Amino acid sequence: MEPGDVLSVRGLRKRYRGRRGVQANDGIDLDVAAGQVVGLLGHNGAGKTTLVHQVVGLVRPDAGTISVTGVDAVAHPDQARRLVSIQAQANVPISGLTPRRAIELVGRIRGAEPADVRRRTTDLLDALDLGPWADTPAEKVSGGVARLTAFAMTVVRPGRLVVLDEPTNDVDPVRRRLLWQRIRGLADAGHGVLLVTHNVREAERVVDHLAVLDRGVVIAADTPAGLTSRLRGTLTLEVDTVPGEPVRWHPAAADAVVGHLRATATVPTGAAADVVRWAQAEVDDGRLERYALTPASLEDVYVKLVGADAEQEVQVA
Amino acid sequence: MNGLTERTVEGVHQTLLLAQWQLRRQAQFVPLMVVVQVFMAVATVVGYGLLVGEPDPLTALYLATGAPTVTLVTVGLVMVPQMVGQSRMEGSLDWMRTLPVPRIAFLLSDLLVWTLIALPGMALGIVAGVLRFDVDLALAPWFAPATVLVSLTAAAVGYAMATLLPPQLAMLLTQALVFIVLLFSPVSYPAERMPAWLQTAHEWLPIEPMAELVRAGLAHETFSMPARSLVVLLAWAAASLVGAALALRRRA
Repeated sequence: MEPGDVLSVRGLRKRYRGRRGVQANDGIDLDVAAGQVVGLLGHNGAGKTTLVHQVVGLVRPDAGTISVTGVDAVAHPDQARRLVSIQAQANVPISGLTPRRAIELVGRIRGAEPADVRRRTTDLLDALDLGPWADTPAEKVSGGVARLTAFAMTVVRPGRLVVLDEPTNDVDPVRRRLLWQRIRGLADAGHGVLLVTHNVREAERVVDHLAVLDRGVVIAADTPAGLTSRLRGTLTLEVDTVPGEPVRWHPAAADAVVGHLRATATVPTGAAADVVRWAQAEVDDGRLERYALTPASLEDVYVKLVGADAEQEVQVA
Repeated sequence: MNGLTERTVEGVHQTLLLAQWQLRRQAQFVPLMVVVQVFMAVATVVGYGLLVGEPDPLTALYLATGAPTVTLVTVGLVMVPQMVGQSRMEGSLDWMRTLPVPRIAFLLSDLLVWTLIALPGMALGIVAGVLRFDVDLALAPWFAPATVLVSLTAAAVGYAMATLLPPQLAMLLTQALVFIVLLFSPVSYPAERMPAWLQTAHEWLPIEPMAELVRAGLAHETFSMPARSLVVLLAWAAASLVGAALALRRRA
């Protein structure tokens, strides 16, 4: 464990027994340093939630070690829970409470003083622009507001390690930005943040480090720039198609993925000028609506890493 | 040692906050739940009255002192597991378990919430019994702690059941238990009326000692608490608390 790491996972293995036994984690190594946002990417069933549940002692690993600021979380889950705060993937039901009341109560359960909790709750409600719903009964708020409330419940008294499992789900684009700012702010204040997400495009802007999980193993771990550098020689071609007109790709285009009225492919940088000429001609002839050539994104890297079958899982925001 | 005291104080504080969380979440329905509890406690007394007609004084005393036991046991064995089952199914239990709270605080806070909800019913059940059967009660000074022991044991058994069994099965089992407690346990009538094998079974189960303790606490001039029953009850209390604590600590 490096000094400054708030989370250090080594060789973590977990197999769920049962008729259809699943090797959920198959030797995971992962570190989160103080002041860092580490993104954990992976499609459904990649083993993300199992990993998170082992950190707070809801699931016992078969092998491997988990250390939270030096505390052995496998042997002392109660100590680890004092150091970690978690936003679960599913919203915590808070019907009967208001967002403000729920946030304050969790803050106090986590040991904060009433006055501090009130102040911090108000700050969070303001920062996430939840003021109008703060005192509305929870059964009357939208899914997005419930999600943001769950986030505020997690960070009203953040642990040294903050784990966020899909915090942006259901959140509208404007408040999403506010949320990302808060997440970045947590790391800047010295907390380690482990961010579990499908939302590759938005995560790219706030994470310091990324780990891609597939079938229980970390298959790539690097900075966003480091990961995308593998595709430095390639560009992404995005085209809006015309209904009923299949795309007749330029010969340099590879890895084509065709969706509804939109398709993407990768092209080598050397062929860029040729491809632009081809695309413009297609647009002029009415076989394409629009095209764009962009540097390879993290999402492209992700899809390449985990395979095209994961494509549908990637949430394009 | 100081650290331990601090942890205990913190744990008690957290238990109260969790109870507040649960109570506020149910706030809308709490008045209704209290009414249902009152109704059940009074109905037990009145209903038995209909079954037996005009009982002799001893039978009447059994009926009057049995009702509060039924209320306490129902809360622990039925209401608490249903609450746990509900929070397991809606997914809040897993999240709650990620909080830095001593595991036993979950049990104690649920028990506290339900005891508060059931208390008016229990009190009115006693009053209804006194009025309906015209009996004189003699409250022992230790009645209050005795009821705590009874409800804690029942809740711990219920909690262990709800945490270890699949939620649907646990809910079904609680329904069956109501039936057993109401009709096939020596709570509202003396054990001698039951077949021998059932008497033997109840010598080792916690329900009869619970009834004996409440009975002796309410009418200590007529009934006494056999030492053996107290030992059986304490053993159940200890075992079920350990069981519930282990169930709450259990990692998948």
